[in-house]
Amino acid sequence: MRRKNWYLTIGLILTACMLLFTALGIFWTPYSPTAVSAPDRKAPPCTAHPFGCDQLGRDILSRTLEGAGATLTIALAVLAIGAACGLVIGALCGYFGGPADALMMRLCDTVAAFPSVLLALVVLAVTGPGKYNVIWALGVLFIPSFARLVRGEFLQYRDRDFVRSARLMGVGSLRVIFVHILPNTWPTLLSGLTIGFNNAVLAEASMSYLGIGVSPSEPSLGYMLKDAQGVLFTLPWCTVFPGLVVILLILGVSLLGEGVRARMGVAS
Amino acid sequence: MAEPIVRISHLNSWYGRGRARRQVLRDVSLELAPGQALGVVGESGSGKSTLAKCVLGLVTDITGTLEVNSPRPQMVFQDPYGSLNPTKTVGWILEEPLRAAGVRDRAARRQRVRDFLPLVGLEEEHLARRPAQLSGGQRQRVAIAAALIQGSKLIVLDEPVSALDVTLQAQILQLLADLKQRLGLSYLFISHDLAVVYQLCSHVAVMTGGEIVEAGDVDEIYDHPRHEYTKKLLAASLALD
Repeated sequence: MRRKNWYLTIGLILTACMLLFTALGIFWTPYSPTAVSAPDRKAPPCTAHPFGCDQLGRDILSRTLEGAGATLTIALAVLAIGAACGLVIGALCGYFGGPADALMMRLCDTVAAFPSVLLALVVLAVTGPGKYNVIWALGVLFIPSFARLVRGEFLQYRDRDFVRSARLMGVGSLRVIFVHILPNTWPTLLSGLTIGFNNAVLAEASMSYLGIGVSPSEPSLGYMLKDAQGVLFTLPWCTVFPGLVVILLILGVSLLGEGVRARMGVAS
Repeated sequence: MAEPIVRISHLNSWYGRGRARRQVLRDVSLELAPGQALGVVGESGSGKSTLAKCVLGLVTDITGTLEVNSPRPQMVFQDPYGSLNPTKTVGWILEEPLRAAGVRDRAARRQRVRDFLPLVGLEEEHLARRPAQLSGGQRQRVAIAAALIQGSKLIVLDEPVSALDVTLQAQILQLLADLKQRLGLSYLFISHDLAVVYQLCSHVAVMTGGEIVEAGDVDEIYDHPRHEYTKKLLAASLALD
C-alpha cells in the first residue's frame, strides 16, 4: 500500500486555488483597482469590501486580484527566460565539458557571487524601472542557478552506459542531449523550477517593495506591500491580504514541487 | 582463411595527458576472424576493457596497427540496468538504432523491430514496457537486440552475463551462441570468468598488466596452460564451479 502523497494533494489544491484567484483578477475585479472612494477611506474588512480599503479608499481585494496577476506574469516570464537559457547552457556545458564549460561556469560564479536583487537594482538604475525591464533583469540573473543545476545533472548522465551506447549507434550529440538525457533530469529540474518560481515571486516583490519594479498604475503584490508599510499597524489589512496571497502561492507551488518529485521518485 | 574482421598488431595505448599519461596496453597483437568468438580474459585493470574501447574506436591515444573491417561495431554492456534508458519504452529503445541509421519510415522501423523480437526471445507485449518493468534477463535481451538491430557484424560483449544469476547466465550465453550462428556475427568477449568464456568462445587471449600473456585455442589453453597467470585464473574459476 502506497503512502498517500499529501504534499501533492495539498499542493495541487492550493496552487489551483491561487491560479484561479489570479485568473479571476485578470478578467474581473469587484471595483476598479485604482478607483478612489472618499467614504470608504480606511474601511476595515466588511461585506462590501471583504479585504478592507486603504487610506485612499481603494478596495484591497480588487488591488490584490490585480496585483497577483502582475506578480504571477512577471514571475513566470522571469522563470521562462532563466530556465530556457539555463537549460541550454547547462546541458551543453555538462555534456561537452572542456574550456568553454570552464569559462561559462566562472562567468556564472561571478554573477552568482552578487545578490541577484542588488544586481537587478544596478541594471534597473541604468535601464529605468518598468515591468519589462524587471523581467529581463531578473530573468538573466536567474540563468546561472539553472545552468548549474542542469550541468550537474548532465555531468552525472553523460558517461552512463545508455548514453555511450547511443553514441556508438551514431546518434547525434544534440539528440543525445535533448532526447536521451533530458527526460532523465525532469525530477530534478522540476524541483529547481518550483524553487525558481518562488524566488522569482519573492524577487519581484522585493524589487517592487524597493520601488524599482512595476509602475504605480499597475500594482503588483510587492508594490502593495511597499505602499502599505506606513499604515502597517493602523490598517493591517492593507498588508496582511497581499502578503497572505504571496505566502499561499509560494507554499502551494513548493508543496506541488515536493509532491511531484516524491511521486517520480517512487515511479523510477 | 578469410580476411580477419579485427586485426591488431603491436598496439600500445595510453590514458591521461602530460605527467598523468600512463600506458594501459603494451604491444598487444590479436586477430579475430569472421564468425569467430574471441574471449579476452583478465582481472580488472588488466587492460581488457581498454582493448574493447580501442576496437570500438573510443581510444585515440594509440600506436601500432588497428584494423576493424566492420562498419559501426556495437557493444553489449555488463549492467543491463544502466545500458537502457529508463525513461523510454522497449519499442523506442529498439527503434532508436534504426532512426540513427537513417530509417525514416516509421512503419518500416516498427516492422523491423517486430521481426527482430523472436530472435532474442522477446514478445510484442514487451514493446510498451519500460526497462524498470522488465527482469534482468529480459533487459539484457533488449540490450542485445539494440546492439544487433543495425546489422553490425562485430559485437563487443563486455561481461554481458556477470550481472545475472547462474541460470540466466546460461540462457543468455545460449542466446548469444545462437545469434552468432544465425546472423554470422563475430564476438569480442571481455570477461574475468574463464568458465563463461569456455562456453561461448573458440579462442581466448589472457591479459594481465596490459599485455597478452597467452593466446590460442580455448581447449588448448584450458588443458595446457603455460603461463603462471593463466594457471592461477583457471584454478580460481574452477574453484568457483
